[in-house]
Parts: sequence; C-alpha cells; structure tokens
Amino acid sequence: MTDVLTRDRVVAPGAARTKDEAIREAGTLLVNAGAVTPVYVDAMAERERSVSTYMGSYLAIPHGTDEAKSEIVQSALCLVRYDEPIEWGSGQPVRIVVGIAGIGEEHLSILSKIALLFTDPEQVQRVLDAPGADEVFDIIQQVNGV
Amino acid sequence: MSVATASAAPAVGRGKRAQVRVQRFGAFLTGMIMPNLPAFLAWGLITSIFIATGWIPNGILGGFGNADVMGWAGAATQLAKASDGTTFSQYVGLVSPMVTYLLPLLIANAGGRLVYKERAERGGVVASIVVIGMIVGSTVPMFLGAMLVGPAAAWVIKKIDSIWAGKIRPGFEMLVDMFSAGIAGAAMTIGAFFGVAPIVTHLSDWLGSIVNWLANHQLLPVMSLIVEPAKVLFLNNAIGNGVLVPLGAQQVIDKGQSLLFLVEANPGPGFGILLAYMLFGVGAARSTAPGAAIIQAIGGIHEVYFPFVLMKPTLIVAAILGGATGVATNVVFGSGLRGPAAPGSIIAVLAATPRNSYVGVILSVVLSATVSFLIAGVILRASRKRDIEAGSSGDLGAAIAQTAANKGKTSSSLAALAGAQGITSDGAAAVDQQVATLVATGPIRSIIFACDGGMGSSAMGASILRDKLRKAGVPDVTVQFKAVAQLEDGADIVISQRELTDRARRHAPSSRHVSVDNFLSSPAYDEVVAEAKASRETMERSQS
Repeated sequence: MTDVLTRDRVVAPGAARTKDEAIREAGTLLVNAGAVTPVYVDAMAERERSVSTYMGSYLAIPHGTDEAKSEIVQSALCLVRYDEPIEWGSGQPVRIVVGIAGIGEEHLSILSKIALLFTDPEQVQRVLDAPGADEVFDIIQQVNGV
Repeated sequence: MSVATASAAPAVGRGKRAQVRVQRFGAFLTGMIMPNLPAFLAWGLITSIFIATGWIPNGILGGFGNADVMGWAGAATQLAKASDGTTFSQYVGLVSPMVTYLLPLLIANAGGRLVYKERAERGGVVASIVVIGMIVGSTVPMFLGAMLVGPAAAWVIKKIDSIWAGKIRPGFEMLVDMFSAGIAGAAMTIGAFFGVAPIVTHLSDWLGSIVNWLANHQLLPVMSLIVEPAKVLFLNNAIGNGVLVPLGAQQVIDKGQSLLFLVEANPGPGFGILLAYMLFGVGAARSTAPGAAIIQAIGGIHEVYFPFVLMKPTLIVAAILGGATGVATNVVFGSGLRGPAAPGSIIAVLAATPRNSYVGVILSVVLSATVSFLIAGVILRASRKRDIEAGSSGDLGAAIAQTAANKGKTSSSLAALAGAQGITSDGAAAVDQQVATLVATGPIRSIIFACDGGMGSSAMGASILRDKLRKAGVPDVTVQFKAVAQLEDGADIVISQRELTDRARRHAPSSRHVSVDNFLSSPAYDEVVAEAKASRETMERSQS
C-alpha cells in the first residue's frame, strides 16, 4: 500500500507556473516512476480540458480518462506542492497537485487518506505550511481512520 | 422522495399494508417478466416458424433434423432415438435451449437484480448461477423455479455481504466479493439441484395427476382451474403432452374424437387476454399485445401470453373462466378433436377438427376468447385510469415515487407501465430498477459517486461521504464510485460534478442526481447525510 505513494514522488516546491505545466510535472513523475506511459500524460491533460479535477481546498488531482487506463502499468500517486498558487480555473487557486494513476483498488486507501485530510481545514493548513517534502509525506502517512 | 415515503409509512394501517404487500408483489413479478418480454417474443417467433409443425419447418433451427442427413456441420447436436429404435444425432436447435435455459435464466437474473438493487449486477449473477442448478436438476421447464429461487439466491448473497460490509481491509473487497459470491453461488446451485428442482418436478406431476383424476370423473370444466395456472408457469407441455394427449388418444380410439385435446390447446383464453391488453392496456404492454396475439392465435405459441398474465396475476381468473367456458361448450356440443392440435394455433385446431364438430369447436374458441376478454377487460380497466395518470405526469420515476409515497395507491400495473417504458426505451435494466424503487420504497441505501475516470475524484468523494455517514451514525448506506460511462442505473442517489450530471442522468435515469462543484467540501454532502439519517430513523420508527 505504501508503494503507491513513495517519498521520491512527493515534491516541494514544484517548478510549474501554469495548470498545463503542473499536469505535465505530475505526469512526468508518474512516467519516471514507471507507472504510466507518456500517452497517459496526454490523457491527463485531455481529461482536465473536459472536466476539471479541481477539488477545492487548494487541491487538484489530475488523472487520465477511463479510456486511458490501458496506459497504466501500475497504480501510483505523486504529490507536488507549489509555493505560489496556480490558477486552475477562475478563482480556483491550487497549491497541491496529486497526480493519480489508478487501476484496481490498491491506490484507493491512500486516496481516501488524502481526501479526508483535505476536508479538514487545519490539516490543509499543516500541509501548506510544512517546511518541505519530507514533512508533507509524513503528514499524509499519519492520516488514520479510513 | 424517500423522506416523503418514509414519513407516510406510520400512518398505513394493517389492511392497507397487506394490500400494499400484494401490490408490491405484483410489481415485483412485473419487474421480473416485463424486461424479458422481447426474449419471450423472439422465442415465440422462432418456435412458431421453425418447429416441425411450424410455418417453415427447419430441422436445424427447430431442433428436430438429423445432422447426419442434413449436413450443416458444426452446430450442436444430441443423440436422439428415431421411431424405429435406432439412434441418430439430432440438431439441438434454438427452440429447446431458449425455453429451457435462456428464459428461466433471464427471469432469475431480473429477479436477482430486483432483490439486490444496491448491487443489481451481483444479485443477477448469483441468481443466474443458482437457477442453472434447478434447470438441469429437472426436465420440467423451470419458470416457477426461476421466479422463486432467483430472488431467493440474491437475497442470500445480500445477507452474506451485509455480514462483513465495511469490515474488509481496503484492497481486499474485490477478492472477498468474488469468492463469497462464487462459493455461495456454487453451494446454492447444488442445493437447488437436489433440494428444489425435485419439488417443482413433483408439483408438475401432482398437477398432472389432478387433471387426470378430473378427466376420469367427468369434472371437465374444472380442469381449467389447474390447467390455466399450470400453463402460465410453463407446465403446459407437461400437462398437455403428459396427461391430456394420452387420455385424449384413448378416447379417440373409443369415440373417434376427444375434447381433451382442446383443454390446453385452445388459443381462445390467451387471445382474449391479449385482446383486452390491446384495448385497455397501457404503454408497451399495450403496443406489444397485437404482435403477441398473432404469434399466439395463429402461430399457436401460447407462451407469449404467459408473461402478460404473470405480470398481472389476477388475470389468471380470466384465463381460467375462459378455458372453462371452452371446455363446457365442447361438452354441450359433444365436440372434440381427432388428434392433438400442436402447436395450439387456430389453424392446427381446425385441421384436427372432424366435420361434425366444427360448430362446437369454433364456438368453444370464440366463447372462451370472449369470456376471457371480458373479464380481463374489467381487470385492466379497473387500474387503467391510475396507470394513465401515472404515465402522463411525464417523469416516470417521479410518478412511481409519488405513487409509492401514497403507498396504498401503489398499483402493480403502474409498475407494468414502468416496465413497459423501459422496454420501449433502451434499458431493460432501467426497468428493474424503476420497479425496484417501488418494491423497496424508502430509505437511501446506495449512493454512487460518478466521475470521468472512476479513479480519482469520485473515489475521493466516496471516501469523504463514507466518513461523514459513519460519523453521523448511518453505517448501512453503501457508497460506491464509478466512471460515468460505467454507471449503472439503480442507486438511490448519484453524485457527480456539475458538468457530468447530464451524462450521469442518461446512464442512471431512475436515480436521483446531485451535482457538486467541489468534491471536498460540498454542502450537498451534509444534505445527503442528513436525509439518509432522517429516512433511516423514520423507517426504524415505522418498523417498531
């Protein structure tokens, strides 16, 4: 279960300045991890054009379309935190981007943790204020009660 | 809708409650039969055309041809015994497998979906698994069995699932799901094979011996009391060929003719019922009736009218009295047939009629059709106004929900309407679910999150809502997530992003749809949780 999100796929701060760059950045992390083919990254961008993955609470979770599931080698997540908010849609500032490649169910546990984490404003603030990637990774690992 | 329904519940009195039960049972039967009507019709067409006594007899499709002679290679064959005692390989054909396997399996599947509507697919699969045990455990067609065992099997797996619902570690749900249904299905199949199939076989034998006894005691019109219900449960061949034809053949030797050949083969009662549907029915049942009437009366495949009776069981009265009228007419005129009329088409009947019996036989068909038409007409008319009111209000799901909210006013024909509309549109599954909404009126039991990919946003939304429900003390609501494209109808509530709600609605027309802009903190969650909690509390109050 811990393999779905590993420390090396948690990046802070990220380099991207725009939504498209952020999706590429998250996608590249997944490709480098051997989780998806580069085609999947295009699907992530495509999916974002049709329906936004902005979730609220500074979080966006770009992922591919249903059709692109064949491009997934194994389930993996990555997390990038940005120091400056990225404009995801109008009035939708994003500072945490969680890239998702999910087949089967093994990524759901960690995804649930992230979801519950981000419904709690205090926890969101902790993630945003954490000094670096190590601390962000720890906070997510600590979430319980799913 | 569920809140309104539930809050109406405590006011329902005992008598009314019983009435509601009967009506729900009717709706349930409709839900099992109506979606499968096209399969009945397909089978009826194939049978009336291709069997040995059909319009274009075809040994390959009809399943009576000798494969060694006809030379169409590759089709399934079975060993059959020729009249001279030798064996030959005979084509299996379409007729027998469809009626033996396809129709009972479809009925069981629909029944399973209705019972386990939160996970209709799973209920249908388990029901189908178990019914195959009954089908091969007996030589009697297993329609009755499918209607009993299919829903029962789905109920069992539903109960089994509830034992460990929410207690399985994430990641293992799929494994547990697959094996629990597989193991339970396998066990129940064996149980159905040895435990239930023999009961239906015995029931069939028993009905046959009653008919035999009645025939021997000159209580001929009373036979319809047994024969017509048995027909509708597809035991017609067991009784027709198993009892009436041998007895009739005996009488032919003595008197040159027998009316026993007409007891089961008289197309009049079924034709009368279909005629009544043509005039007084609503929706697809009405529009399907003319075609069914032709297949039934001229093609002689009576089975096509059985579903029309099964989905409104009071119509059996029309069939019985129509049948009895036919038998009585033949008694009065001393008329009968020279031999069995197979299939029971008006043409086959007339072909087997001796010259001195024409008046009696024709009258028996006409009078039995008239009587069953009149009675069926009264029965259908009694509920017609309600059916039409429900139908004209536009949103069918809302109409049903509203009627269900009134509870006492719930009508099985309303569900027939739901079924009918489902058939004319594209989704047979939609039918099950609409009826199921009626059957299991009330509380919110299942919620599905739908998103584009079914792996991210919806999974998160489902986690959040599950958490909120658990904290609110409403644990028995299933929350699933799916890609919109794979969304199935049947959930009480479907939650999706605003942009996707229209698409979701097309996939799940009978569910209530909630749009969210923000998956993480939508006010809609709290509303849904509050509603689920309220409906659950009301239900508990009404039960205690």
